Amino acid sequence: MIQVLGLTRRYGPRVAVEDLRFEVRPGEVLGLLGPNGAGKTTTVRLLAGLLAPSAGDALVAGHSVARAPEKVRPRVGVVPENPGFYKRLTVRRNLRFFAELYGVRDPRRVEEALARVGLEERAEEPVATLSKGLRQRLALARALVHDPPVLLLDEPTSGLDPEAAKEVRDLLAELSLAHRAILLCTHNLAEAERLCHRIAVLKTRLVAVGSPAELKQRLFGRRVVVTLANPRPGLDRALDLPFVRSAALDGNRLFVALEAPERHNPILVRRLVELGAEILFVAEEERTLEEVYLELVEGGDAA
Amino acid sequence: MRLRALILKEWAELFRIKMVLYGCLFLPLFMAGMAGFLVWQGRNLPPEAQAPLFNAALLYFLILPVMIPVTLAVYSVVGEKEQGTLEPLLATPLSDLELFLGKSLVAVIPALLLTWAVFGLFLLAVSFLLPGGIPEGVLGLPWLLSLFGLSPLMALFAALVAMLISSRASDSRAAYQFAGLAVVPALVPILIYSVRLTAVDLRFVILEGGALLALNAALLYLGIRAFRREDILIRWK
Repeated sequence: MIQVLGLTRRYGPRVAVEDLRFEVRPGEVLGLLGPNGAGKTTTVRLLAGLLAPSAGDALVAGHSVARAPEKVRPRVGVVPENPGFYKRLTVRRNLRFFAELYGVRDPRRVEEALARVGLEERAEEPVATLSKGLRQRLALARALVHDPPVLLLDEPTSGLDPEAAKEVRDLLAELSLAHRAILLCTHNLAEAERLCHRIAVLKTRLVAVGSPAELKQRLFGRRVVVTLANPRPGLDRALDLPFVRSAALDGNRLFVALEAPERHNPILVRRLVELGAEILFVAEEERTLEEVYLELVEGGDAA
Repeated sequence: MRLRALILKEWAELFRIKMVLYGCLFLPLFMAGMAGFLVWQGRNLPPEAQAPLFNAALLYFLILPVMIPVTLAVYSVVGEKEQGTLEPLLATPLSDLELFLGKSLVAVIPALLLTWAVFGLFLLAVSFLLPGGIPEGVLGLPWLLSLFGLSPLMALFAALVAMLISSRASDSRAAYQFAGLAVVPALVPILIYSVRLTAVDLRFVILEGGALLALNAALLYLGIRAFRREDILIRWK
């Protein structure tokens, strides 16, 4: 649904994004993570047909953003960082206006979109009276009103209180069940981990793409933590099993890197017992997406 | 459909601001009042002496369609920028031509309707105020063509210039500063009229109409070329 083919954008001498290559499949939510100035908003604008690429191209719903942005725009729903509504007009009037621009003639579609984001009871109120969270919901309704196959969401929960952010996230989770391709820019790593099937980390160039689990494994491998009742110095060095990549004792915890804990844990436990260890717990080490992100952004290329 | 949607939305938004609404109504009524007062001053003159006053009064109705669109059009793009609505608007399938033309028509249509409405009021008042009614031969084809044929072209000209300024301005105050300039070129025919009061002939009106038509086409082209979506999105924070 979205195929990004070496997309590059420069603003004068400054490179905003360079040689981006990734895809978002139908029914998939791809999280675009990156520090401020990494090029997330530029990427959204390029894919929405709002900016022309300096080099490369992207196919969005089958149309080139470089050659036919006018064909891309009707097929994309965008939630920009700033929702941008006519504050004096009512919620319904705003949505009806955008629906008409997208060629939606049936007024029921406007009502459906309002109901979907839970704004039907506020429909006759001016947008100026809505909270930021409700405006974000309205922005989602606008992005959905023409039923596009592609959604581009630029930090849809930014600046919202936890409750409002949760409402928006719940809505996004619902949307991802439909066969849409969704690109979600966010700074919220927990949100990305919860909502996104895959994560792309951007720092002008694409640093890494993969599912959270894949990225964790790619960066840190898999490690098992064995908590011992009697930590004996030298136990880590005594572990002579062929599948053990490394072992390190830290206090009463033994960290063992291995390829497939599901297969190797029983052998590992048996060997540790043979070596005289008294085992309290065995668990796989949990890495957070934050650790992955920081490692990628501060560490550099892992793609 | 998109053009219609844009125009209706703009009006809904614009006329919700009471000051804009009252401002739009006050100026035409004031001008019509001035024109009526001018004509009324010559009520005791013989009909042939009333004709130049009547001609001068009619000029007010050529100024109106130039002044009203400027005040409405100048805020149109810069206002979208300030409200942060331009990005979602540009993300829709709306073309530059639709955007530029639609926003110009938003300013032109009320200006013309108001001008013609107060012109009707003026005629009605004059026919009551002057003992002999409207002097014969004054309201001839050249004047009627000027009012109903040239006015739309002049209004469009003013709106397009204002739009051009609005789309290039980085600040609404700067846009308003420059907007006054939009009136100047459109006032040229009025100035010519004022020195040719007795000689507003059909040929001159047609020539002027042709020139305005060509100028408007050129302005529309220029306006669309100068309306750089990318620059607006990138520069406007």
